[in-house]
Amino acid sequence: MANAQGPETTGTVAPPLPTPRKTGGIGAATPRVDGRAKVTGAARYGSDFFGGPDPAYAFLATSAIARGRITEIDDSDARALPGVIDILTHRNVGDRVKPGKTFSDKGYMGTSIAPLASDRVWHDGQIVAVVVADSYEAARDAARRLRVSYADETPSASFDSPGTETVSAESKSKEGEKAGQEKPKVGDAPRAFEAAPVKIDQHYETPTQHHNPIELFTTTCAWDGDQLTVWESSQNVYGYQNGLAEQLGLEPSQIRVVSPFIGGAFGSRGSLTQRTALIALASKRIGRPVVLEATRQQGFTIATYRAETRHRIRLGADQSGKLTALIHEGWEVTSRKDEYKVAGTDASTRLYACPNIDSDVSIVHADRNTPGFMRSPPEVPYLFALESAMDELAYAAKIDPVELRRINDTDREPIKGLPYTSRSLMKCFDTAGQAFGWSRRSAQPGSMRDGDWMIGWGCASTMYPTQVGPAAARVTLRPDGAVRVQTAAHDIGTGAYTVIAQTAADRLGVPLDKVHVELGDTALPPAPVAGGSNTTASVCNVVAKACDEIRRKLAAAVTVSGGPLDGADPGRITLINASVMDDQGRMASLKDAVAKTGHGAVEAYAENIPHGAPPTAMQNLYKGQSALAGGAKLKDRIQFAFGAQFVEVRINARTREIRAPRIVGAYAGGTIVNPLTAKSQLMGGQIWGVSSALHEATEIDRRFARYYNDDLAEYLIPVNADITEVQTIFVPEEDHQVNELGIKGLGELGNVGLNAAVANAVFHATGVRIRKLPIRIESVLDAPVPT
Amino acid sequence: MARKGIRFLRRGRVVEVADFAPRTTLLDWLRIDQRATGTKEGCAEGDCGACTVVLGREREGRLVYEPVNACIMLLGQMDGAELITVEDLAQAGALHPVQAALVARHGSQCGFCTPGIVMSLFALYQEGGRPVTRETVCDALAGNLCRCTGYRPIIDAALDVCAEPPADAFESRNEATLAALRRLDDGEDVFVGEGHAFFAAPANEETLAKLLSDHPEATLLAGATDVGLWVTKGLAPLRKFISLGRVKGLEEIHDSPEVLALGAMSTHARAMGPLAGIDPDLGELMRRFGSAQVRASGTVGGNIANGSPIGDLAPALITLGAILELRQGNDRRTLPIENFFLGYRKQDRRRGEFLRSVLIPKPGPNDHIRIFKVTKRFDEDISAVMMAMRLTIKDGRIVTARVAFGGMAAIPKRALAVEKALLESRIQEGTAWAAAGEALGQDFTPLDDHRASAAYRLQVGKNLIVKALAEIAGAPSDATRIIGHREAAHAAE
Ligand SMILES: Cc1cc2nc3c(=O)[nH]c(=O)nc-3n(C[C@H](O)[C@H](O)[C@H](O)COP(=O)(O)OP(=O)(O)OC[C@H]3O[C@@H](n4cnc5c(N)ncnc54)[C@H](O)[C@@H]3O)c2cc1C
Ligand code: FES
Ligand code: FES
Repeated sequence: MANAQGPETTGTVAPPLPTPRKTGGIGAATPRVDGRAKVTGAARYGSDFFGGPDPAYAFLATSAIARGRITEIDDSDARALPGVIDILTHRNVGDRVKPGKTFSDKGYMGTSIAPLASDRVWHDGQIVAVVVADSYEAARDAARRLRVSYADETPSASFDSPGTETVSAESKSKEGEKAGQEKPKVGDAPRAFEAAPVKIDQHYETPTQHHNPIELFTTTCAWDGDQLTVWESSQNVYGYQNGLAEQLGLEPSQIRVVSPFIGGAFGSRGSLTQRTALIALASKRIGRPVVLEATRQQGFTIATYRAETRHRIRLGADQSGKLTALIHEGWEVTSRKDEYKVAGTDASTRLYACPNIDSDVSIVHADRNTPGFMRSPPEVPYLFALESAMDELAYAAKIDPVELRRINDTDREPIKGLPYTSRSLMKCFDTAGQAFGWSRRSAQPGSMRDGDWMIGWGCASTMYPTQVGPAAARVTLRPDGAVRVQTAAHDIGTGAYTVIAQTAADRLGVPLDKVHVELGDTALPPAPVAGGSNTTASVCNVVAKACDEIRRKLAAAVTVSGGPLDGADPGRITLINASVMDDQGRMASLKDAVAKTGHGAVEAYAENIPHGAPPTAMQNLYKGQSALAGGAKLKDRIQFAFGAQFVEVRINARTREIRAPRIVGAYAGGTIVNPLTAKSQLMGGQIWGVSSALHEATEIDRRFARYYNDDLAEYLIPVNADITEVQTIFVPEEDHQVNELGIKGLGELGNVGLNAAVANAVFHATGVRIRKLPIRIESVLDAPVPT
Repeated sequence: MARKGIRFLRRGRVVEVADFAPRTTLLDWLRIDQRATGTKEGCAEGDCGACTVVLGREREGRLVYEPVNACIMLLGQMDGAELITVEDLAQAGALHPVQAALVARHGSQCGFCTPGIVMSLFALYQEGGRPVTRETVCDALAGNLCRCTGYRPIIDAALDVCAEPPADAFESRNEATLAALRRLDDGEDVFVGEGHAFFAAPANEETLAKLLSDHPEATLLAGATDVGLWVTKGLAPLRKFISLGRVKGLEEIHDSPEVLALGAMSTHARAMGPLAGIDPDLGELMRRFGSAQVRASGTVGGNIANGSPIGDLAPALITLGAILELRQGNDRRTLPIENFFLGYRKQDRRRGEFLRSVLIPKPGPNDHIRIFKVTKRFDEDISAVMMAMRLTIKDGRIVTARVAFGGMAAIPKRALAVEKALLESRIQEGTAWAAAGEALGQDFTPLDDHRASAAYRLQVGKNLIVKALAEIAGAPSDATRIIGHREAAHAAE
């Protein structure tokens, strides 16, 4: 397993290449098995399927108002255009497509706002028509010629807009009772806060952000009789299948959803959007495949996003820095119709030891599209607030920020006193702090300077729940050692193809290049949504289980009397080097072993229900419901991955340009199946963290409740040159309680807390505390220039 | 008679396309028409680079491979070029060195940006045989967004292979390709379509002038890095295009000790060297102009003619005292560039008139130039504020001052009050710096938007003036800049 990695070189030479192991089992730094397909353009994404030789093309028309009604749609000019075949509006769709239930309401949809169900407009950029034509150009031109008239009402854009409605967030458990997950509470926090000698009471704010995966939102649908095939990049193919069935009044078995490669997702393709059913309907109506490619701008309103949040944090501590009170209140914007929320108090109240904790979450309904999951949905905003407040507390108590975390470290979560299965937070701080050179920091804000550049160093904790979902897989082993693994899991770039192949290669003793993995298709056994960083844990464990089943079958066959390994203990048979071996070192070829089973190949289907998931989890998984178990939801224990984030910022004293030239993170995530894919995930996450602090915000024109920087020129994500030095360090950790292979999810760990670390570094550089993200150049305009 | 179709080279063969709608983009042709889906679409407006393909063209007598954004390039512009896409690199099953390095370095996660990155690095590889640093790689990849990897492994892959002299199938075919491209260059006018909807690419100024007077409402097309967006993002129903891409002479660059003459069709990539020769700050400005893709397509003429208030070249050219040369039918005229900009997106360009060239007088030995571009994101970002300054200093006294700003008003504009404050003051006098900075408030009431607030723009504008004066007075630029020190740039020349 790879441990600490040296600093990244700068200059002209890249660090030496790791030597890949040919067998590439668990723990090997194997380059991704789909690398070749990706560099040659052979990998096919949702948008690369046309559904047949002669598809029609769809273009969306979206609303120009955020609230009101459509009074008229004049499509005569559009229809007059040569090549236009059909135009779907609320007048011809209506209830032919059911809205469906949202994800948080135990359904599949990202929103229950069904755009063409009625004349009602719920948000800006809502789909008001789908134009279908022979060519993409004709569809686009026709959409532009549609004349839509509205009766508009004044929309409420966000926090503080007149007309918003604030309600207390209260999730319902299965039985319909309040589950109270949003409001963890212990002791008497208000009283303890009053009495505390050191106090922080501050408000924090995070902005709207959009996932902006580089692949656009596209859908291709084709019918064969009453069988529908949908090609669409998805993090949840079974969820899409079942959701569409509900919307279109079909049996799930009538629908196949195909998504072999996904051009980035980050949560945006986890729940079904309303566009898919509309394209399916359009295809049915015209009797031809239909291809939709929504524009980048439309992607901002036809899918989900990370909503803006506000927080009030009260921290009380004694003189030694020990927390005596923690109160976290959160407010989150959502749409008028849906109750989506992230409620990160679940995590933020469990990070540090504290006898008195209180929390509360409210949602604020505005005239917006419904938000949804975006990479580390609860942790990004909620830990920004908490980790900023911790930094403020460190200054108030005159304690080094790292030491403050050490003082409040714990091995039990403070609400119910449940034990962490493992927790390496301080190990991460020590490892990263050393690599960063934290001990050379001078504590005084504004005291570090290099020419025109004011330097600041900051740090923060990261945490992410370790979750495992139910999963199924089918594995086939042929006599020549060729292995086929089938499961409807999703490789959203995380490396699922690779780590699954590694697991099978490891368990079946065959070289990696003998393993063929098939993913992302409802024709395969189900796997959970690629969300909550569960895929590696859920799927590798079930694949290992199926492989073990194959091993047992082979072991039974070869150890029978007269078999090649006659007399050996079947329990001690291993598969290695494409052979079967007993504990005496006797070998039999795979070919003979398979022949002994009396079959042409050995196949196993396995299901796995993780600790803490209900017994019905498998049936539900086939219905597209992935009950992820873990994090703070278990009754007997708590499981999280942890890490420490360090950042250097430099702020130009003259221009106030802000750069983050150095980022160092150390993370403990249990078993690292593949250090390359894992590092890649974490490093990508680190860039997201910096981006979240310095660049990313969707700007809203409050008069019209409309996003106005809705493209990649204006919605800034970092380019190469923005990032100078990134260090990603693994802290070794073993935790076989979380699951057999000891895997914790990593994909959403690297970005959390970094936003706070950047803000903390800005404070250190300038003495200006920024409590509202993103940090803009003008946020530090008034910072005194230290001499 | 004009040719009725376009011709270009692909996979060693001449491809002829005669039947296409004038607005068809290269990307739509590839993906929808040809079903060549290796090239991706991520934005359709030149920002993400997923659509990057490489064009081989003859430049200064050599075959040059350059990356371009297929999403905003019109198919018609392909005439006479060699087109290379991600599917074309692997030969007989063997990955191209760039592809192999990206696999070995783990340069993809979701892989959606990968085809574009492969092509940008392929172009860098073809430049080959010169030192490649992290900075040059970052420059080459400034137009490729990756939302997943954090870029590091991609940069490592580039460092592995892009410094070697190219040794691939394209290099070994170099001569043959160049010969084939020359055969395509037939000097014929191209006219695809009908009178009411066409893509025309005249071969010389005479037919251009004639076409323009017949169709004064047609859209002039240079690199299409602006016009392409009108089509894909603005959904503008444009029907008539007159491309300047084949007009002989418009692309010429003449560099003399007195004047740099840039033909309107000089791409930023080609103009960059000569501009850097005038002053390293101008070179640095061009390095941060858009991306390699945008610089390979976008032209000096297009940048001036579109009259954007945030265009990067105009303020610099204003301070340098550049002269524009325009032509309408047989009438030619010249005017100082600052007089060309009349109001927001309104220029002194007559119906049917086109820009021929820009004449840039070379600065004298007593001239001092400073140009700064301030952005939120480092690369490929629109300037929040952009300042250019030229001072002539005699015996420590400022005898002429030209200061111009972009991003501060509806047009690129001189800061006359600042200039006045500077005139006749001594460069070493700190009080004069402050006074000049303060005068900026009389010149501009800047815009307020999410990119930067008005207060920020004004403050930074003042700071930039002071920074420039401090540098000219002798403060070393490594104290005032994060990268790209002037001294280093000078030394490298
Ligand atoms: C991703 C991206 C990044 C960019 N970054 C920058 C940047 O950093 N700085 C910056 O300044 N700009 C930037 N731009 C804008 C654009 O690239 C430049 O303005 C470019 O120089 C335009 O040149 P072009 O040849 O592509 O013009 P075109 O798009 O072909 O034409 C632009 C306009 O000029 C007219 N025109 C062109 N040539 C002539 C002529 N000879 N005579 C008369 N009219 C003519 C056209 O009719 C049109 O109105 C960027 C654009 C993109 C897409
Ligand atoms: S598709 Fe994004 S630059 Fe072309
Ligand atoms: S690998 Fe996903 S965008 Fe680059």
